[in-house]
Amino acid sequence: MVDREGRIVEANDAARVLLPGPAGDDRASEDLPDWLADAHRRMVGGPGGTHVNALYGTIGERLFEAHPTPSSDGDVVWWLIDDTDRRLAEASLRSEQERAAILSEVSSTLLSSMNVAHCTEATARLAAHHLADAAVLVSPAQGRRFPLTHARAGGPVTQAVRTVDPATVPGLVEALQGFPPAPTQWINPDDIPAWAIPLGFAGQVGSVIVTQLPGHSEPNGALILLRAGTGRAFTEGEEAFTRQFAARAGAALSAARLYSEQARVTATLMRDLLPPDLGGVHGVEYAGRYRAAQDDQRIGGDFYDVHPGADPTRESLVVLGDVAGKGLDAAVLTGKIRNSLHALLPLAHDHEYVLNLLNAALLTSHHTRFATLVLASARRQAVRVRLRLTSAGHPPPLVVRADGRVEESRTSGDLVGAMPTVSARTEETDLAPGETCLLYTDGITEARGGPLGRELYGIERLKRDLTGCAGMPAEAMVERVHMLAAQWLGRGRHDDMAVVAIGAPKSGAPTVVNGDTRPRNTHQRQRRNP
Amino acid sequence: MTTPAPEFGLVVTLMPNVLIVEVTGDLDHSTRDRLVRTVVTHLTPGTVVRRLRLDFERLTWIDSTGLSALLMVHRHARALGVGLRLDSRPCFLDRLLDLTGTSAYLTAPVEAVDGVSGSEAG
Repeated sequence: MVDREGRIVEANDAARVLLPGPAGDDRASEDLPDWLADAHRRMVGGPGGTHVNALYGTIGERLFEAHPTPSSDGDVVWWLIDDTDRRLAEASLRSEQERAAILSEVSSTLLSSMNVAHCTEATARLAAHHLADAAVLVSPAQGRRFPLTHARAGGPVTQAVRTVDPATVPGLVEALQGFPPAPTQWINPDDIPAWAIPLGFAGQVGSVIVTQLPGHSEPNGALILLRAGTGRAFTEGEEAFTRQFAARAGAALSAARLYSEQARVTATLMRDLLPPDLGGVHGVEYAGRYRAAQDDQRIGGDFYDVHPGADPTRESLVVLGDVAGKGLDAAVLTGKIRNSLHALLPLAHDHEYVLNLLNAALLTSHHTRFATLVLASARRQAVRVRLRLTSAGHPPPLVVRADGRVEESRTSGDLVGAMPTVSARTEETDLAPGETCLLYTDGITEARGGPLGRELYGIERLKRDLTGCAGMPAEAMVERVHMLAAQWLGRGRHDDMAVVAIGAPKSGAPTVVNGDTRPRNTHQRQRRNP
Repeated sequence: MTTPAPEFGLVVTLMPNVLIVEVTGDLDHSTRDRLVRTVVTHLTPGTVVRRLRLDFERLTWIDSTGLSALLMVHRHARALGVGLRLDSRPCFLDRLLDLTGTSAYLTAPVEAVDGVSGSEAG
């Protein structure tokens, strides 16, 4: 209880412990902490007893909340409530919230880029901004050179590949190998070499943290955090937070690395698997077009190839196929099939035999991934084109006759790659000038769309639409089929679609065949050897 | 497929020596593994099951990866001497089996290896 003059007139035991002073009850206001004495003066001096809300202040090292209760004789009873723990808890909660916000910013910033260089740059920038005065990200070595990313809080981020010795930074070798970080007190700031200090770093290095950036299977490099001056060493909490930051950054870098690797593999495979440009070969027209499914970046399972005969008297082999599934597995199987068939070309006079050899080469106990294909052997004979067509579990080829009739080839056979043996029936047919044989994958006939939106395009509709295409050159026919499917789809999604057309040139004159050198030469030979 | 087709589901019924799996929805690249896993889980070496019946009454679509799952199921069942039957086949499934030449293979009777007649299959 404090009287008008600010003297303590009464105090309980707790208050006496808190405000030690002369033993007597009449103590001067100097004994009160300044903030409480001020509030007391405002309270008793104010007009008509000013109301004072609860206020806060420190006594010694602790924080108190003070509630005044005025009494009628002018004395004020001050209730002091120790608030230190709650405040500490609140402060630590606030800092936890800030840290959570930082981590979430880190994750969203880093994960929004699937580019390793961007991700590395952002990690260094965010680390310098949130965790230290400067940060150096040491990426995994490329030989003896290390990609280094330097960042300063508020400064630019620079990236360079340099030959440096990681052993010159204490703990860096271990961090690069993925071992847990060395506690900061083990690192002497004076030991930090110049290469690990970003240009423009003001003052002496005061404290250092070296931490690994954990990866999925191997480390993603290490992060060196620097603070200037001696007064602001990293606390234990900050070190722990740094590890959390590093874990997020490492995860993002791993994702970016995996993605780039996958993109590179995809690009490599795609280069090899992209359908070849076709044209005229030995007096027969070939045209092909492939439209990849637009719903994802994965490699589809459709493919085609034309293997020209050794000379115009020999058949050329056309292959169009569809591997079940998508992605890397499908790409590998596609590559296997294309290579195997290339090697089996000398046996192409017997399609069923080739299919059995191919089937045996593809069979594996691991899976039942299969392929369906059409083999078409074509040879020009006078003005006509002789065809042998074999379906291996694939939609049979369609032949568009000169009068507009569309015939479905009567070949049939088993898919390859999943059953112990396969059988197939080959059909032979001739193309008159202007007639075309069309090989296609089910991406065309299973295009869903039309007036109702979900209807299959279907083989019957394709046949009907093709009756209007009689006499079209192979190139135009292929474009036409893709256009028909695209129209049917509207804005619907579609699977891979591949179409190959084999055409008998209309005029029958060798010169109308596509003008590249190989066919022209072969035609000259053909004339000499009727 | 994005049609409001029923969601993919499998109902497994185990009778004394017949395992019945009813397939609902689209059997495609996103669901095929579930069918294979379910069959592999229920048909283990030494199983008393002699016949596996896949019921396709509620199958809404099947693509090539779905067919590859049927081939895998067949291979697994066959290795254990279990006969496979494909029941209530919708016409699109029949068309796919006919086109790919897998119909007879998938439903061929199991040879009477251990004196058990598999002539009911198919």
